[in-house]
Amino acid sequence: MPVVLLIVLLVLPVANASTPQQHKDYPQGVSSISPGSDLWREVRQRDLPISGITQVQGVESGVLINAEGDRWARFRIENPVRYAPLVLLAVVAILVLFYALRGKVGIEGGLSGRMVKRFTDYERVVHWTLALVFLYLALTGLILLLGRTLLIPLFGHQVFSLLASASKESHNLVGPIFLVSLIMMVFSFARRNIYEKGDLTWLLKGGGFIGKSHVSGGFFNMGEKSWYWMVILIGLAISISGLILVLPNFDQGRVIMAISHVVHVFGAIILIAVSLGHMYMGSIGTEGSIEAMKSGYVDINWVEAHHDRWARQVKENDEVLSVEEFARLHGRKPEPADNAAGQS
Amino acid sequence: MIEYLIKGPFWYFSLAVFCIGVLWQLARIVFTAGKTDLSVARGSATGGAWRNIFSRFVPHPEIAPRIRMQVIAGYMFHLGLFALLFFAAPHVHFLENHLLGFGWTPMPYWAFIVAAQFAFFGLILLWLRRMLNSVSRLISTTGDHIAAILTFVVMLTGCLALGEGFPALNLLHFFTVELLMIYFPFSSLMHAFTFIPSRAFTGAWFGRRGIDA
Repeated sequence: MPVVLLIVLLVLPVANASTPQQHKDYPQGVSSISPGSDLWREVRQRDLPISGITQVQGVESGVLINAEGDRWARFRIENPVRYAPLVLLAVVAILVLFYALRGKVGIEGGLSGRMVKRFTDYERVVHWTLALVFLYLALTGLILLLGRTLLIPLFGHQVFSLLASASKESHNLVGPIFLVSLIMMVFSFARRNIYEKGDLTWLLKGGGFIGKSHVSGGFFNMGEKSWYWMVILIGLAISISGLILVLPNFDQGRVIMAISHVVHVFGAIILIAVSLGHMYMGSIGTEGSIEAMKSGYVDINWVEAHHDRWARQVKENDEVLSVEEFARLHGRKPEPADNAAGQS
Repeated sequence: MIEYLIKGPFWYFSLAVFCIGVLWQLARIVFTAGKTDLSVARGSATGGAWRNIFSRFVPHPEIAPRIRMQVIAGYMFHLGLFALLFFAAPHVHFLENHLLGFGWTPMPYWAFIVAAQFAFFGLILLWLRRMLNSVSRLISTTGDHIAAILTFVVMLTGCLALGEGFPALNLLHFFTVELLMIYFPFSSLMHAFTFIPSRAFTGAWFGRRGIDA
């Protein structure tokens, strides 16, 4: 059987080369059965991959055409490429709508100017390293996933091919840095993100959005903890699947590569979508939140509003800094605005 | 036209600024050395210089736990960049064909990628620490930030051009390298040339006075 396949394959180009001449002489066409049709039909349309015998040593080197690969390509075009932009646009639309309706979530009584240390320098470096690397990977990943559909019509093939090459090379190079940052994130934050008593109440009250009563929270609330574990678990899945894709020399077959690709893409889309919400809540969505990752300190009123159990703890331990102490720590004199905030 | 300018006149200009600038800065340091020390020596200046050159590669035990991240990130960045600069195949070929006339065995591709990852990771950690630590931020100058960002941009454009299939990406990397070469002699990046003489000078001064530091 392999010998027959080989002969047919060798004859195929000759048969194909003669086709245009026949069309010219007989414009109405000539009915003839291509000897290759049956062969390709046999090879492509079987449900299971056919493995032949070959002298080439390697994973799946005996497979002439991988029918699963064709199905995977169709799945890729019909699902992630089609729905990823819709999911991301929907998240952006929800956030814009939420901001328009609710506005910035303020703190009752405003900011006091009296600060509490929330994160160390090292923890913030780890957070921002992961964030920057993630943003870069998200951008280059989206170029690779959606560029063919969205960017070619805008910039043309030449510019896109350049962008795609640059994105692919840098995405592969930067990817492992994400994994290392993720591991650093586990060692820095895991202990404080273990679920505890009271977290479920936070979830049942929708983090304060359901009902009017205050929702109790510790150092991290249920929402923050869930986001953290989502980053770690989906991040690990993305990283491992990315390594399988970028290092194809460990004898992994095409099926494993295709599954890894699906895990990689879907994991990334989920993480990008949820990260938009995280970025919104951590910056313009909630008053005083950005300060935690900027200076490492947060206002005591912010702590009382969102993390009352932790607030009681820092007050008991006398960890609240005055306006003057905080300004001195940051090498500046207290400004009138700081004092005004401190007196309010 | 742009390719001609970047690979022609601008390359020679940046090379000239780099060479003359570095020599001028080194000469300035040598010729503005302090007065001769006439005091009676309490120890060996030479010994102190050598001791200081090598002892400063390891942080002082008392402060080591507090600066562990900076030390590790610093080594990752500097060793990674050194390996990239002198042992990445495209750089070795460039130095051989355009500057030195001879080359050496470049490192394998996988080592090139690992070195780049070390350099990137180290630089990101160091620059973020500079931005996020209140004391580091206060003592950092605009020049420090420009140097860090320019170095990062050079590394990033090099990373974008890894495929070597697009001349425009190679040209972009080449152009950013030229910008860095022009900026280099007038910035804190000069420490690449001055860190050993600087350590030697301080060590000699300590050694002559019998200071064990």
